[in-house]
Amino acid sequence: MTVVDVQTTRLLAGGIQGDHVALAPHRAIHGDLRPMTQAALAAAAANVHLLGRGGAAFPVATKLAAVEAGPRVEVVVNGSESEPASRKDRTLMTLVPHLVVDGALLVARALRTSRVTIAVHDRAAYASLAVALDERRRAEPHRESVDVRLQPGRFVGGEVRAVLNGLDGRAPVPPGRRTLPTIRGLHGSPTFASNVETFAQLALLGSLGPQAFASVGDPLERGTTLLTLVGAVPAPGVVEVPTGVSIDALLGPGDGPVLIGGYHGRWVSDAHGLRVTRPLLRDARVPLNAGVIARLPTSGCALAEVSAVTTWLAGQSAGQCGPCLFGTNAVARDVAELLAGRTAPQVKARLEGLIRRGACAHPDGTAAFVASALASMSEEIAAHGNGRGCGRPYLGVLPLGGAR
Amino acid sequence: MRLDVDWTRCDGHGLCALLLSENIVEDVDGYPILIGSDVAPQTLRHARRAVATCPALALRLEGDASARS
Repeated sequence: MTVVDVQTTRLLAGGIQGDHVALAPHRAIHGDLRPMTQAALAAAAANVHLLGRGGAAFPVATKLAAVEAGPRVEVVVNGSESEPASRKDRTLMTLVPHLVVDGALLVARALRTSRVTIAVHDRAAYASLAVALDERRRAEPHRESVDVRLQPGRFVGGEVRAVLNGLDGRAPVPPGRRTLPTIRGLHGSPTFASNVETFAQLALLGSLGPQAFASVGDPLERGTTLLTLVGAVPAPGVVEVPTGVSIDALLGPGDGPVLIGGYHGRWVSDAHGLRVTRPLLRDARVPLNAGVIARLPTSGCALAEVSAVTTWLAGQSAGQCGPCLFGTNAVARDVAELLAGRTAPQVKARLEGLIRRGACAHPDGTAAFVASALASMSEEIAAHGNGRGCGRPYLGVLPLGGAR
Repeated sequence: MRLDVDWTRCDGHGLCALLLSENIVEDVDGYPILIGSDVAPQTLRHARRAVATCPALALRLEGDASARS
């Protein structure tokens, strides 16, 4: 079984040819948008165990039920997708923008508000949403205001509370004090904020109903999920698969190191037996995060890939929390030392110093990425110990953002 | 009661580690490491003094009505 056999196109239906699905074909596939009450939408989300798709995998039903509905409520679609290896959110916004807008309007109507904001970092996604909203103004006007905002961004700028700060005109960094957006979010109003894919899944749930939605996928998390597959895999790029598929099927045959959960994720020496179901992966201590799964080719230097991403991660620290600013840079230098065949005696202590010592998940995620790499690549590190390297080139398989 | 550091405010002045050595030590860069965030009753006086002395207003004692939070 290969990834081609396990793909199930529901979110991305009609968009596979690389062309934006216009409103008429969108309606032909998904039907009209039918309003649901807050209670009904939360019950449907609970029924299929829908979990947020941005990375934290918070139960959507709980978040929906936590918002006190009314005209002050803000609905925020987080389309910032600041992780360079992840392409799933911009793929959704670019190929099926009407599904994303349907999801946002479904939530807004359930929460009895007309205030919707979609925050994006990617210009193609912005353009596609603008075209889609223009199409709706003519063919299917809605009373809600849908504000698409192009936000500048770095990795931590995609964290939902950083996005809210940015939309409010403040620096797009996570706040120091823990606040729940559902209580006090955009403009200080109760806010339902979630990832683009979460909204698309909600639109699909509204259109299919819980029973048909749950016709595929794992009982712990029904339906499909989007993944971005990177590196030495049979089908690199964004795929939509039912939850519960084995990671082996996605990776195909091969031997290189496997990264699950992207740049805040974990390297595993053996992905055998792991399945793409968020609760199972969380229990196995390899959270899926935003759905990036990568395998490095054995022809390249894995430690150089790890070092390049670690340096990039250090550069993405917002610089507002000392342990993260100094700690991520120290860890990046340590990994570079190992790559150069020298030792890094402080690296363990430095990694521990990143745990739960920041305003957001960046230091913890960086520590998980590096600690799991060091644990699973001992042969690789030993091969560099002579100072002459492993003899394999740095291929740059793991993308590092840059201009886009 | 629990200690909490607002990491966006903390500048590593280090006074808390001096005043509340029962709960806080400094890391190599001078930032606090909490040794257990629960404050024992006999340590509460030291904890309140550390909170009140933090120049960056970064240290808080959660659930303490009598101290600045």
